Amino acid sequence: MPHALSYMLEYLIFFVFATIAVVFALMVVLHRNPVIGALSLVVAFFALAVMYVLLEAPFLAALQVIVYAGAIMVLFLFVIMLLNLQHRTEEATRPVQQFLGFTTSAAFLISLVYYIGKYAVFGKLPDGRFASDARTIGIRLFEAYVFPFEMVSILLLAAIVGALLLSSRGAATRAEIPTEVSE
Amino acid sequence: MIPTHWFLILSAILFSIGVCGVLTRRNGITIFMSIELMVNAVNLTFLAYARQFHQLHGLIFVFFVMAIAAAEAAVGLAIFISLFHHRETIDVDEANLMHW
Amino acid sequence: MAFDATDVVLSLIKIVIVLVMMLQVTPIMVWVERRGSALIQDRPGPNRIGPFGLLQSLIDALKFILKEDIIPTGAHKWLYTLAPVFGLVPALTTIAVVPWGRPFRIPQRISDGGALTSVGWTIAGLCILGAFLAGGATARYSRKPAHSKFNTVIGWLVVAALAGIAFLIGAALLALHAAGTVRVPAGGRWFEPIVADVNVGILVIFALASLGVYGIVSAGWASNNKYSLFGGIRASAQMISYELSLTLAAVSALLVAGSLRLSDVVWRQTGYFVLFDTIRIPAWNVFSPAMWLSFIIFSVSAFAETNRLPFDFAEAEAELVAGYHTEYSSMKFALFFMSEYMAMATMSALITTLFLGGWDIPWYNEPATFGGFLLSALAFTAKVAFLLFIFVWVRWTIPRLKYDILMRIGWKFFLPLALVNVVVVAFFIAKHWI
Repeated sequence: MPHALSYMLEYLIFFVFATIAVVFALMVVLHRNPVIGALSLVVAFFALAVMYVLLEAPFLAALQVIVYAGAIMVLFLFVIMLLNLQHRTEEATRPVQQFLGFTTSAAFLISLVYYIGKYAVFGKLPDGRFASDARTIGIRLFEAYVFPFEMVSILLLAAIVGALLLSSRGAATRAEIPTEVSE
Repeated sequence: MIPTHWFLILSAILFSIGVCGVLTRRNGITIFMSIELMVNAVNLTFLAYARQFHQLHGLIFVFFVMAIAAAEAAVGLAIFISLFHHRETIDVDEANLMHW
Repeated sequence: MAFDATDVVLSLIKIVIVLVMMLQVTPIMVWVERRGSALIQDRPGPNRIGPFGLLQSLIDALKFILKEDIIPTGAHKWLYTLAPVFGLVPALTTIAVVPWGRPFRIPQRISDGGALTSVGWTIAGLCILGAFLAGGATARYSRKPAHSKFNTVIGWLVVAALAGIAFLIGAALLALHAAGTVRVPAGGRWFEPIVADVNVGILVIFALASLGVYGIVSAGWASNNKYSLFGGIRASAQMISYELSLTLAAVSALLVAGSLRLSDVVWRQTGYFVLFDTIRIPAWNVFSPAMWLSFIIFSVSAFAETNRLPFDFAEAEAELVAGYHTEYSSMKFALFFMSEYMAMATMSALITTLFLGGWDIPWYNEPATFGGFLLSALAFTAKVAFLLFIFVWVRWTIPRLKYDILMRIGWKFFLPLALVNVVVVAFFIAKHWI
């Protein structure tokens, strides 16, 4: 019964990788060491990429790993390691706010899951294959969405310039640095 | 085929975990990572709907969300670096210059 | 997605073949590196263990297993232990989307008296001849005054192994002769020698290659050692910088093929360029007028991606002790070692597929049979081996300069060059010159 086998395989993959995503997302939020948090987020992103493959969007799954897990998280890790942030402990000075934070997000989760389970049940999927390969996405990007595409490139340029300006020390502190080194 | 509302529930779980992170933690980098988690949960919702109705708009939107999240991460981390240079701490409770 | 048991068995065979070949890369490359560097530096190299030092890798593996496994104090135990695994996984999985032979139709029946039997008897005969030669060499070696017992034992073991292989092949051929013809269970199907022929093949490679950064970064940070941290951060900055020019150079080969599948890229290179109506050059991308520059950019970026000299600032012997793997010993260090050589092999396989025509044999039209498949797989292996030798050659020839020179040429020279190259290739395609 190959059809039943492929059904079972799909459900199994969904459950395994959904569990991995949730567990590692919890580790991001709850672990006190930000390096471990960043690496757990990488694993969560990878599990999400598997979810994207299950949703018949392999191009976006590959992009998720390349952009998020491969570039953005490396940037996070750089900043954490270069600023040597891993040895900071957070003193528990605001227990009331923390408790309120936990309960609010738990209430949010419960209500979301309840209402989605009740109202968001859809019918059958449309027939045919979902044309989500690189060619169709590329055609759509360059025909219908060419204006946002060009705008995003200008936005990325602005982000690069902004990041460079914000992270450099001011000119005054830059002038002081040689005197610090020489003494 | 996996029913679409399962993906929506997974996305809701990840989103609330992200919300919990933003509300509870004080380390700025951890808050930022929780925000990225929320953005990814929303990406999953977009793709679930795109697959349900066989529409490409969801995919294109996720594409743009990824690009913008990359830009946001770069600028946000630059802000954290400059905060660290001025205050020697990344604790967001210490970034309280607007009241003495 | 209907698949049945035969598909699963064929996939398992492909996975086993690819995994076994990848695991053989490290011992062979260790020998090539040490003897090749010795050749370039005009010294003998390892020649004690086995003839020509061929068993040096075996003894090195034994040494790695038997060494004490140290975890430094203050190191993060979990991450320290898992970091070599992070390095190994991308190296082993990216080879899954590379096509390594010509797709062929599995024959319905194997009959006696065909090409298979003649090739089989030839191989058996060569094994017997080899056994005799090895026996003679071992006997002559054991009569020398300074012979080592270990080498003689190995020599006789080689004789026994060759004789055993010849015996097994002879027995199989005799059984085939007795049976007449044998029906092949999976007969009639196409065998595609690529483990996962996904639609977005090249993107899977880029995705997994960008995950390779984490092994180095985790190893550098988890070792609780300044030098390791510096090595790790340097290496990750270098790898993500050169990923850009690597991707853009590969994009040009994909533009010409019109698809992200690597098998389509190779099929596109199986034609010929015809010069002056007479000379036929194989249509490999490296010979194409628009893509020779992509080949150069891709190869240089491959050196930077695999942290090989002249770009090996991650290890940087004599600068950073041993860089990110300073604090690693025994099997964990061996895993780092292995993952570096396997990443080299994967990059060579990728360069071969994108630019050197993959499994295409230059002026020969391989038929869609098992013989054609074997020849194409041999051609692929020969090209990969040649590129691996170039990796070794460059390592021992070119010096390592400074890290800021590396980053400067990565961002200010190779990235603009790769962008301009993509535009040029697109222009060529638009004008239908390719």
